[in-house]
Amino acid sequence: MHVVIINGSPRVQKFSNTDKIIQSFGKGLHVSGATYELYSLSNRQEWDAAREAFIRHDQIIFALPLFVECVPGIMLEFLESLPTERKNPAQMSFILHGGFDEGHQFRLGERFLQSLPEQFGCTYGGCLIQGGSFLIRFRDDEKMKKAMDKKIDAYIQMGQSFVSNGNFMTEEASKFIGYEKNPWIVHLLFRLFIKRLVRKNFERFAQQWGCTRPLDDKPYL
Amino acid sequence: MDMTIVLNTLENGAVSEQMGTLIKDGDVEVLNTSDMKIAHCLGCNMCWLKTPGLCAIKDDYAGIIKKLVGAENLWLVSDTRFGFVDWRGKRVMDRIVPMLNMYVEFREGLERHELRYHPLNFGLLYKGKADREFLEEWSRRVASNLAGKSLGVIKMGEGEPCM
Repeated sequence: MHVVIINGSPRVQKFSNTDKIIQSFGKGLHVSGATYELYSLSNRQEWDAAREAFIRHDQIIFALPLFVECVPGIMLEFLESLPTERKNPAQMSFILHGGFDEGHQFRLGERFLQSLPEQFGCTYGGCLIQGGSFLIRFRDDEKMKKAMDKKIDAYIQMGQSFVSNGNFMTEEASKFIGYEKNPWIVHLLFRLFIKRLVRKNFERFAQQWGCTRPLDDKPYL
Repeated sequence: MDMTIVLNTLENGAVSEQMGTLIKDGDVEVLNTSDMKIAHCLGCNMCWLKTPGLCAIKDDYAGIIKKLVGAENLWLVSDTRFGFVDWRGKRVMDRIVPMLNMYVEFREGLERHELRYHPLNFGLLYKGKADREFLEEWSRRVASNLAGKSLGVIKMGEGEPCM
């Protein structure tokens, strides 16, 4: 199997969480004997080659972060540049991720992705979803690094699963997201402890980035 | 009096006279984004973690954020593609992130980012063939993220908003 992976994130590859997910997923593909080629839409110079690869190959995966409840604008722009008819059949699949961790946050985006393949003369190969990816970029303490490494490493297995099943239409893939909605205990713990902890973490990241203003600053008031 | 900002993302800047009839009361300002220099959001998180509330991209969108800070309602006017708003319409919505801050809370049982300023109501006037029910759900979700209510989704050439 040879897979074309298109990173639909606008963030530069070096800092892209989507890219880290793809690299891990790609390891899984390799372990199972598959190959892949990767294009990042954050680099406009790769658009022509990405378009060519989309036309030529039959296994295409778009990996993307959820932006304002759907696909990032930059990926929509790229999609508009693709031909909507094709000579050879192909399958379009998706890896969707985002900062919030509950499944329901992704369902509208998933629904949109589900509708896309048909509009390009392709079949739908499913959508692998996982939340809580905001912290992938921030692994400055051991505990966080361990948690994020575990999150990223889980994609290796999903790469292997994709090769053996040929798509993400499996129970394993549908369970990848975890909770559809957090149980009440999480809401309670969030109010009591987690909220304060999360705020402190964000403030620490900001400090590391050289931020000199409060995070709830209102510069235009 | 409520201030309404209309972001018209149609290519030629033309808007139907419909906008005038949509907004019954208050002040309205229409901004044609086809005349503006607006880049895609880079997802860099600078507006949340480095310069809170200020976008790292120095283009015409800063002017839009300033207007939104003084507004209660936002209408997006957009063409459609693939059953959804097109990339020009989505691009201006992706850039709205500085209106929220990094902190997270539960609002109405949903994980949400805190508001940096105040709630903003959101409505959509669209052109072309699209999945109206999908757009209504998207509009509701966008409004929910902004702690406002959905003002409705209207197809250009039709009358009343569909709430």
